[in-house]
Amino acid sequence: MSHPARLLAESARLAAACTACGECVKVCPMPAFAGLPAAEPALVAAGMRAVLLGQPAAPEGVAWVAACTRSGQCNAACPERLDVAFMLRLAGMRAKGATGEAPLVAVKGDAGWASRVKAFARMTMTEEEQAKWL
Amino acid sequence: MAVSEPQVTFWYGCNMTRHGEMVRLTMRLLEAVGVSADATGGTASCCGSPKEADARINGGMARRTVEAFNARASHQVATWCPSCHMNMQDFMAPATPTNFETLHITQLLHQHREALRPLLTRAVPARVMLHRHLGFDSRVPVNDCVAGLLAMIPGLTLTEQPPLPGHMCWSLGNVPGALARGQRETLAAMAAQGADTLCTIFHSCHREGVGLERHHPVTVKNWVHLLAEAAGWDYVDDYKTWRNGGEVPAAAQQAAGEVVFDRLVVPELRKAPLV
Repeated sequence: MSHPARLLAESARLAAACTACGECVKVCPMPAFAGLPAAEPALVAAGMRAVLLGQPAAPEGVAWVAACTRSGQCNAACPERLDVAFMLRLAGMRAKGATGEAPLVAVKGDAGWASRVKAFARMTMTEEEQAKWL
Repeated sequence: MAVSEPQVTFWYGCNMTRHGEMVRLTMRLLEAVGVSADATGGTASCCGSPKEADARINGGMARRTVEAFNARASHQVATWCPSCHMNMQDFMAPATPTNFETLHITQLLHQHREALRPLLTRAVPARVMLHRHLGFDSRVPVNDCVAGLLAMIPGLTLTEQPPLPGHMCWSLGNVPGALARGQRETLAAMAAQGADTLCTIFHSCHREGVGLERHHPVTVKNWVHLLAEAAGWDYVDDYKTWRNGGEVPAAAQQAAGEVVFDRLVVPELRKAPLV
């Protein structure tokens, strides 16, 4: 299965199992930490689930997906024992348009990433280390 | 006599190239505890996460890296970067079968800590706050592993702040205002506990944290730096020097390449601290 196909399949599987109860949202540290507007947890979770399915999503859900920093506290709170952190990761990719849809969030590209990584390697490693470690 | 194959591949990731001394010190720590290892990182062994907005590219990079690891003789891949580690578990290994075990470098060194203990003979008189995050620790007990290693250093007093959200500072940096808030809370916790040194665990936290030295009376070191000091090993944190206004030697500028240095390296090194 291709990577895009797997993202879609996993998104659909997890979205089908999610009841959007909002318990994951309640324990997430990011809404308060990032100063997101207060919102009903179930509405936020339903928005995340809609993003997973590529459906129209409440802005509160999209904002929560975009604010995910992989704190991982959501998993223990899920009454369905779902890997919510993974769901959020998938939703984040879907929101960025990873599977071909129009992005829902701004995508911070870094066209210079590879050149920068290589430049720092040449700056901080000896030629022998570069030959062995890159 | 046949040369034995390395037991472990130390997969340090892509953005760790800023910190060559950390890779060097980690390899020395592995050798010191009797673990034979190869190191690999940079763009050629990327997990794909820098391209996660395009699943096709992301998946191709991930598959290429797993296939390269499968071709190696080592049976363990020890990660440094939590993003690489999570990508391996969540996307890479499920898509491309692996013939190796993935663990974190702090787990591996913690497993071998009794071999490390006799080397840590020099006192490091510092009151150290361990910079912890919530996220990755729920998969790998990295905070406890590092705390356990630091506890073996003579003269070092360890303090801890409540863990910050996220899996490392890079993730906070993607949410407006979150990284600055995390740094302010860290400084407040250090002041409250009388800590003089902030110990980073991950490279992105170090990259963002070293700038705190510019305007605050704190020292920022990584856990491998502190272990090296206790072992009496020399090292230089060039990235911290450069990020805090130190001149980049001409040889390093030339090595980077003039255009790349001016366009891509200088803007990062001259970025103003957030707090």
